[in-house]
Amino acid sequence: MSPLFTPLKPVAPTLRTVLGIACFVLFFLGWGIATYGGFVKPLFLASPGDTLTAGVALFREFGFAEDIAVTVWRVFAGFVMAAALAVPLGILMGAFKPVEAFFEAFVSFARYLPASAFIPLLILWAGVGELQKILVIFIGSVFQLVIMVTVIVSGIRSDLVEAAYTLGAKRDGVVLRVLLPAASPQIFEALRLVLGWAWTYVIVAELVGASRGIGHMIIDAQRFLDTGQMIFGIFIIGVIGLITDLLFRALNARLFPWARGR
Amino acid sequence: MSKLSIRNVEKTFPGRNSTAPTRALVPTSLEVADNDFITILGPSGCGKSTLLRIVAGLETPSAGEVLLEDKAVSGPGPDRGMVFQSYTLFPWLTVRDNVCFGLRERGLPRAEQLAIADRFLAQVGLKGFENHHPAQLSGGMQQRTALARALANDPKMLLLDEPFGALDHQTRELMQELLLGIWEADRKTVMFVTHDIDEAIFMASRVVVMSARPGRIKCDIPIELPHPRSYKVKTTPEFAAYKERLTEEIRVETIKAVTMER
Repeated sequence: MSPLFTPLKPVAPTLRTVLGIACFVLFFLGWGIATYGGFVKPLFLASPGDTLTAGVALFREFGFAEDIAVTVWRVFAGFVMAAALAVPLGILMGAFKPVEAFFEAFVSFARYLPASAFIPLLILWAGVGELQKILVIFIGSVFQLVIMVTVIVSGIRSDLVEAAYTLGAKRDGVVLRVLLPAASPQIFEALRLVLGWAWTYVIVAELVGASRGIGHMIIDAQRFLDTGQMIFGIFIIGVIGLITDLLFRALNARLFPWARGR
Repeated sequence: MSKLSIRNVEKTFPGRNSTAPTRALVPTSLEVADNDFITILGPSGCGKSTLLRIVAGLETPSAGEVLLEDKAVSGPGPDRGMVFQSYTLFPWLTVRDNVCFGLRERGLPRAEQLAIADRFLAQVGLKGFENHHPAQLSGGMQQRTALARALANDPKMLLLDEPFGALDHQTRELMQELLLGIWEADRKTVMFVTHDIDEAIFMASRVVVMSARPGRIKCDIPIELPHPRSYKVKTTPEFAAYKERLTEEIRVETIKAVTMER
């Protein structure tokens, strides 16, 4: 067997970067061949060049930067609201089993309600303004996050808690100074994952009843059959996602250096 | 007067999923005098850890009671410091802050915490490692920190549950000498659970042998080797005589335990 493909064997950092880039290169290559080679009609799939041109036009003529800012703000607002509720509730549910017993069944039920199905209701309740978009993201993220934080806190090593008790810690001390710090790196990781999902909800929210935002731009572009703009819009979401992901990872490594390699 | 009285303590763990309940400990009584160093010796599954955890307040006995200085034990507390077999340092805290943990829970001023922590860290030979995180320490160093952390609280008793069980043989012997040295200097009352016969004899003023499941005290042997003891005592004929006797006692129990498992 090739030594490169030994199970669980780490790969050298340079090779890792090269392989990661190679995947992108292949992707663009395939895209280019499909479009420039005439295998797919421009009406269905714009070529990389046309997409870039459409993107430049979006920024120059259609104020796309503002759309991006509006969408980022909506994701951020909905996500922060969800985290502000879900993280404390999840910690309480993980730490105190009666609280878990009370909320768990309901949250598990609510978790399966598709956020997009709430859009018509939310338009009734909150109109078509910012609040409605933010609430879609909130509903989509909050229940997932509650469950994840609960599982993380429940899984904290019980011997750490026992050690704290034998050192004289009381209930609040155990929750605030053992469970919370022990769970923090994983909670941070859960936030990173859920933020990714929040991005999928915001676009759905913007497809209906929005006058600004990346999702609104994509719907607008559809009306003119401008696949270049549509693809560029989707592409930008991916780029923003990649950037936030890297930021979260860097922040995690910085905030919790003790948890590295665990 | 006894420092610790264990009176007719028994423990039965309820059966799960229609399995029969497990009787871990038949009614057991034991008196521990002030400044005694007691080792509890027995094969795995003899209930020795259960007995220790009941004294620590981490398990509640099914019947009977534990009195520390004539006061009933009802839960874990800082008056009984404990060192666990697993590494239970808080990974997010530095070595110094781990030792400060109990003092901080008690609300001691920071300067006082630091003075006490540094004194005990020096006693276990960890001067210069105050700002390390547990992940940067070897197993032996982690257990020395855990010992300092328990001692810093100035507990009435020190409870040790096979604290050196995960260490290599050489480190283990050094740790035994370290602990014995601390005991010879401070004369804390110690209860030490182990399955290692040499370890039990070397440190103890009394060895309590426990029988295979259900656990009960089989014999109680005072160790009359002079103090201060050095590692050289392990090669004396007196030590060998104790070892021969205890080896016989334990062997019978181990055979019993093994045949029960079949």
